[in-house]
Amino acid sequence: MSGATLYSVSAALSALLLGAVASILPAPVNAWLTSPDVVTGLAVLIFSAILLAASMINTIMLIWFERKMLGRFMDRRGAMHVGYAGLLQNFADGLKLFRKNTFRPREADSLGFYAGPTAYMVTSMILFGVLPISTGWSSGALPLSLLLALAIFSFAPLFIFVSAWSSNNKYSLIGGMRSAAQMIAYEVPILLAVVAVVIVAGSFDLNVIVNEQQNYWFWAPLIVALIVFVAGMLAEMERIPFDLPEAEAELVEGWNTEYGGMLFAFFMLADYVRALIGSILVVLLFLGGWTMPSWVPSVATSFPLAGIFWFMIKTYLVFGLFIWIRASLPRVRTDQLLRVGWNRMIPLALLSIVLAAVVVTVRCLPLVGCVPPLGG
Amino acid sequence: MAASPAKENPTNPVTGVVRPLATAAKQFTKSLFRPSTIVYPYERLEDPTFRGKVAVAAGRPIGVGDVWDNYRGVHALNIATCISCNLCAFSCPDICIEMVTVAGGDPKHPKKCPQIDYGKCSYCGFCSDACPEGCLTMTTRYELSVTKRAEMVYPPERLHEVFQRKLPMNPIRLERPANEDNILLDAPLCIGCNACARDCPTKCITMLDVAKPTPKPGEKLPRRIWKEPVVNDSDCVRCGTCISVCPKECLFWGTHK
Amino acid sequence: MWINMGPQHPMTHGLWNLRVRIEGEIIEEVDPEMGYLHRGIEKISEDRHYNEVITLMDRTCYVAGMSWEHLYIIAAEQALHLEPPERAQFIRTLADELQRIASHLMWYAAFVQDLGLMTPFLYGMRDRDLILDLFQSFTGARMTYEYNRAGGVRNDLPNGFTDRARKVMDWLDARFVEYDQLCLDSDIFHRRCDGLGVLSARDCIDWGVTGPMLRSAGIKRDLRKDRPYAAYDRVEFDVAVADGADVTARYLVRMEEMRQAVRIVRQTLDWLDKHPGPVLAERLPRWLGAPYAPVGREGYLLKRNYPTGRGFSSVEEPHGEAQAYVVNTGGEHPYRVKFRSPVFVNIAAAQKYLPGYRVADIPPIMGSVDVCVGEVDR
Repeated sequence: MSGATLYSVSAALSALLLGAVASILPAPVNAWLTSPDVVTGLAVLIFSAILLAASMINTIMLIWFERKMLGRFMDRRGAMHVGYAGLLQNFADGLKLFRKNTFRPREADSLGFYAGPTAYMVTSMILFGVLPISTGWSSGALPLSLLLALAIFSFAPLFIFVSAWSSNNKYSLIGGMRSAAQMIAYEVPILLAVVAVVIVAGSFDLNVIVNEQQNYWFWAPLIVALIVFVAGMLAEMERIPFDLPEAEAELVEGWNTEYGGMLFAFFMLADYVRALIGSILVVLLFLGGWTMPSWVPSVATSFPLAGIFWFMIKTYLVFGLFIWIRASLPRVRTDQLLRVGWNRMIPLALLSIVLAAVVVTVRCLPLVGCVPPLGG
Repeated sequence: MAASPAKENPTNPVTGVVRPLATAAKQFTKSLFRPSTIVYPYERLEDPTFRGKVAVAAGRPIGVGDVWDNYRGVHALNIATCISCNLCAFSCPDICIEMVTVAGGDPKHPKKCPQIDYGKCSYCGFCSDACPEGCLTMTTRYELSVTKRAEMVYPPERLHEVFQRKLPMNPIRLERPANEDNILLDAPLCIGCNACARDCPTKCITMLDVAKPTPKPGEKLPRRIWKEPVVNDSDCVRCGTCISVCPKECLFWGTHK
Repeated sequence: MWINMGPQHPMTHGLWNLRVRIEGEIIEEVDPEMGYLHRGIEKISEDRHYNEVITLMDRTCYVAGMSWEHLYIIAAEQALHLEPPERAQFIRTLADELQRIASHLMWYAAFVQDLGLMTPFLYGMRDRDLILDLFQSFTGARMTYEYNRAGGVRNDLPNGFTDRARKVMDWLDARFVEYDQLCLDSDIFHRRCDGLGVLSARDCIDWGVTGPMLRSAGIKRDLRKDRPYAAYDRVEFDVAVADGADVTARYLVRMEEMRQAVRIVRQTLDWLDKHPGPVLAERLPRWLGAPYAPVGREGYLLKRNYPTGRGFSSVEEPHGEAQAYVVNTGGEHPYRVKFRSPVFVNIAAAQKYLPGYRVADIPPIMGSVDVCVGEVDR
C-alpha cells in the first residue's frame, strides 16, 4: 500500500465516477465534468466523507470500548444486548437521542444555545482532517500541523462557555466557568510539553515527528513531558478525575444540564471525539505513531494497512489508560485542579523542555544509546 | 471557612495514585472472564444449576442455596381447598384482597376466593400466614410487569394458574398459636336462626336442640327456634364468619372458663 | 446567588431540597427543606394492628428496614407487655448488624460516587447484595422484610444459614481492605475529604446530632453500649470513634463499624448455633399472632380487657439514634405512634457544618451524613 494514499484512492474513485457519468452525457457537459477541477473537488468530498465515516465509527467504538472496559473494572459487563457483545448499543442510543425532541428553555438565548454544541462538534471533527493516522492518510503535508491541531483543540472552552451561558441555568453557568478556567489553565502545560517534543523532533509537522520516532519513541527521553501531557489531556477532555465542569454530584450535568436529545448527543459525541484525538496525539507525539521498533519482526509490520493497525492498537491502549484512571480515582476540586495546573504542571513542563534540550545537545539517551538522527 | 484541624495527609501523590490504580487493575483481571453480575433474563438466581455454577466460578457465595424458596412473591391459590373463610382479606394491611365469587359453590351460598390487587399489595405475607388451610401461599415468582393497570388485579382463577405451575413455595409456615380464643355464645340472646352454622366455612358449627322451657304464668317466651350453635373448637379456624353473620350479635371471642 | 439543590438533584439521594446561597464557589448560607417524601406513617400506624405497622417500618427507611422494625417492635412490646424469647433477641441482634453492614455499604457506594468515583459504588452494591441474599433466606424479602412480630420474630433461621452467613462475613472482611485501598490510600480522596464539614463535639451535642457523625467528633456514645437492648449486652464489640469530625473521620467510623458488625454477627451466629429454642413468645395473644374478624358486640380488645401501656425505645440505627413511642390504650390499634429520625436532625445541622466550604464540597459532606429521606419525612 505504499503508493496508494487515501487521497489518491478517492481521486481515482472520483475520476472513475465522473468518467462514467460523463460518458452518457452530451458534449459540453461531459468535458466540464472531466475537467481536473471538478475531479479534484469530488475527490476532496469523497475523501472527507471517508474520513468522517471512519472517525465517527471509531468514536462510537471508543464509547463501546469504554463501556466494556469500565464495566470490567467495576466487576460488571457493560453493554450486552444490541449486537454482538453490545457492539451496536451506542448506535441504538444515538438513534434514540436522534428521535428525541430537542427543547430549549424559554429564557435561553436561542443562537448560542443551538450554535454552541454545533460548533463544539464541528471543531472537534475538523481535527481528524489535520492528524495523520498513517502514511498516506492525511491529505497533504502541513508543516505546522501540530500547531494547527492544538489551536483547533483549544476552541472548545469558548463554545462550551457560550452554550453554558446561553442556557440560562445556574448549574450550566458554574459548569461553563469551571470549564473555561480549567481548559485555559491546562492549555499552557500542554503547549509547553509539546515544545519539548518539538525540540527533540525539530519540526511542527506531525509526519516528521512520527518519522523521527522510527528508531526510538519519544516517551523514553520525554517521560516528564508525557506525564504533563497526559494530565493536561485528561483536563482538556474533561474526564474523571478532572471532570469538574460536568461534576455530576453537585452540578447535575454541568454545562450541558439544559441540553437534551440530539444537542446532548452532540456534546457527548464531541467529548469522545476529543478523547479520541487526545489519545491520538499522545500516540503521535510520544509513542511513535504508526511506526514500530525495528526489533519487531517484519511480518508484524509489513502486512497491508499495518501502520493503521498498530496505530489503532496504540490509540486504544492509551485510551484504556484513561479509562483505568477514571475507574480508580475520585474527582478533584476546582481550586485543587487549578493549583496543580499552575503550580505543578507548568514547572514540570519547563523541566521537560530543559530535559529535551539536554537530550538534543548530548545526542545520547540512557537505555537507547546514541542514535544518529537526534534533533533537527 | 470553618476551622479545619491541620491534618497530615497520610498518602503522597505517587503511591496515592498508584495504589487505587493497582486495586482497580486487580479487580479487572478478576472479572475479565466472569464478572459478578448476572445476565438476568438468561441467568436467574432462583435457578439452582446456575447458582452452583456461579458460586464456583466467581469463588464467592452467591445466593443462599436451598433456602431461596423462602421468597415472598406472587401468591398461589388452590381454589379446591379454599374454604372461603375471609381470613386473608381480614389480615391484609393494605386492603388489597377482595373475596370474589368463583364457580363451584352452590347458588345460594356462592364460594368466594381472594382476588388480589398487586397494585396495592406490599408482599408482607400476612395473608398466607393467616390462611388456615394452606391454600394461599407465596411463590418465588416476581416478574409482574403489565401494560394496563387492570391487569394488576389477579382474580382467583389467575392465582390458581400460578398454583398449577408448581413453583417453589415459601416453605416457612407460621404455626398457629396454642392459646387461641374460641367462639363463645351468649346463650340468652340466641334465636337459633342457623345463620352461623349455615355460613361456617368449616362446617364446625352444629345446631343442637335446647329444651324449650315451660313458661311461668304470665311470662312470655321469646319467639325463637329452640336450637343453639355448638362450636367444634378443634375444627374451627377462628375466622369469625359466624360472629359477623349473627343477627343478634350473640357470638363473641373468649376463652372457656 | 441562591441555588436549589433538589428536590431532584444527584446530591440529595432522595427527595429533599438543599437551598444554598453561594458567593463565587463559597457557601454563605444553607437552608435544608424536607417534607417532599412525607407519607404520614405515624398517622397510618394509628389505623393498623400492632403487627401490621411493621410493614410500614420497612418503608420508613428503605436501606435500614430491619433496624426500624426493631425500633418499633421494642416499643410495641413494652406497650403490650410482651417479652420476646432469648433466641429471638439474638436473631434481632444478628439482623440488626447485618442491616448495619448493608446500610453502611449502601452509604459507602453512594458517598464515593459523589466524589466522582463509580467503581466502589458497584463494589459496595455487589457486596450489599450478599447481605440481601442472607436477609432473603430468612425473612423472605430483600428489603421489606416484615420479619419481626410483637413477641419475637416470625420464623427461625433456615438450615445452613449460619454457614452461609459466615462465608459472607469472610468475604466481606477481605473486601473492607479493598475499599480502603480505593479510598484511604488515594491521595485525591484525602484532598477531597480532609477537614471538610467539620462539626465539633460541642456543636454535635447542641444540634442533637447522633450516630457516626457524633462518634466522628470523638464522643464515645453508642446506644448499643450505653443502653443495651436485644442481646447487645451479651456480645463483645468496640465503639468506633475517630477524631477530626470531618468527612474522613466519618468514613473511618463507618468502616470500623462495619468491621465491628461483622464481629458481632460472628458471635451471634455462634450463639444461635448452640441454643435452639422458640423464636415467638409462647403466650402471644391471638389477635397479635393472626387476624380475626373485626366484629363483635364491643371492641374485641376492650372485651378482652387487655392491659394498657406505653412503650419507648431508642435504637442505634445505622444513621444515628432513632426513637419510638407507642401508646396502647387498650384498643386494637396503637393510639399514637411517634418516631424520632436521626437523619432529620443530622440534615438540619447542615446550617452549621456547610457554610464556609465550596459548592464542590457539598456532595462529600452531605454524602458523609448518610441521608435517607424516607426516615426524615416518614
